[in-house]
Amino acid sequence: MTDDKDVLRDVWFGRIPTCFTLYQDEITEREAEPYYLLLPRISYLTLVTDKVRKHFQKVMKQEDIGEIWFENEGTPLKWHHPIGLLFDLHASNTALPWNITVHFKNFPEKDLLHCPSKDVIEAHFMACIKEADALKHKSQVINEMQKKDHKQLWMGLQNDKFDQFWAINRKLMEYPPEENGFRYIPFRIYQVREDGKQRSCLLYLILTCETR
Amino acid sequence: MSLTLGGQDFFLEENKFKQDCVEFIKFSQQMGDNWQWKNIKDSTDGYMTKTHFQLKGESVSSNRGEIVNDEVTFAHVEEGLDDFQAAGISATSEVIRYEYHVLYSCSYQAPVLYFRACFLDGRPLTLDEIWKGVPECYKERLWQGPWDTITQQEHPLLGQPFFVLHPCRTNQFMSSVLSSSHKQNRSTNYIISWLSIVGPVVGLNLPLGYAKAVAEQSSSAD
Repeated sequence: MTDDKDVLRDVWFGRIPTCFTLYQDEITEREAEPYYLLLPRISYLTLVTDKVRKHFQKVMKQEDIGEIWFENEGTPLKWHHPIGLLFDLHASNTALPWNITVHFKNFPEKDLLHCPSKDVIEAHFMACIKEADALKHKSQVINEMQKKDHKQLWMGLQNDKFDQFWAINRKLMEYPPEENGFRYIPFRIYQVREDGKQRSCLLYLILTCETR
Repeated sequence: MSLTLGGQDFFLEENKFKQDCVEFIKFSQQMGDNWQWKNIKDSTDGYMTKTHFQLKGESVSSNRGEIVNDEVTFAHVEEGLDDFQAAGISATSEVIRYEYHVLYSCSYQAPVLYFRACFLDGRPLTLDEIWKGVPECYKERLWQGPWDTITQQEHPLLGQPFFVLHPCRTNQFMSSVLSSSHKQNRSTNYIISWLSIVGPVVGLNLPLGYAKAVAEQSSSAD
């Protein structure tokens, strides 16, 4: 694991320069300036856009503000996918900064999960971690962890603390020396179909190669 | 902490899942309970599904008999509003359309219950509204970890928002259920046992006829 630390850091600190623009049909009292942010690839849109929301809400009336959601050239962006994945799927061929449109009305119920609070993001994140550990260790590692370890994992992600996160995540990436590897390697493939809809499938690989 | 109850957790193979679904659907058709299998286009994946209408505010725990009757009453009017009005239901906002999907999870090697619910005008129920419909007898326990139980998630095959009962404890409780019926030499259908446990939490009550059907089938096979 230690050999990989530079790579892990590079992945962790990957950023995407992004320009947020308010959707043209949203009703504002003054003109809404675009808002620029460096988004962390491994985080979630609704987790790192408090400033974006506040920025636009300053020029809007309370009654015109519904649940925030984001769109890329007509496609609603699924907040429950990591930001880097959304960018690679929908915008990797466009010039930077990445242009994201911000909406406060007409929430696309058929496409997006609601995100009323950070608890919902945490629950989603933990569900992903649990599912991965079910494949890697039959859930043994995640079930043996204490609540505070789960919390530390989440807080590490939420507050962008690499060391805090990896102190716990390290355990999820280990396996007993006699086992030569994970039971399965969780692996998810995402693709955008021709009709613009996106699909994903979960593959799990059986580790057959010997460790060095 | 390993929570296995007197042995190993039970993992359901995907083939066994499909077999038990086929048998379940067969029983369902005999009873007019309207479960069916749907395949995803251009794929070998699929799921078992049922649509069901329920009047809002009907307490599942206290009116169990009536609900069963309602299911029978509504069984023939499940497609479309016109039929529904013909059945004499006037307050459309008070009727909720539940759509249940049973999928197989490769990760947990267990079935997972997905569902969505909306009023007849198409407005979907929120997670809060779903929680209000959970019978009191389950609430206290579930609230010890509400985010581990019912959450909104993307349907793995349809890519649309659904509610889901999280499967991470399924193998634990099913192990004890299956081992006790094994000891008593009773034949079981995994889907029936499992769905009769998790379904009532979200308004899905399995008629007793399923259990009878399994019992009859095994006695006629003897």
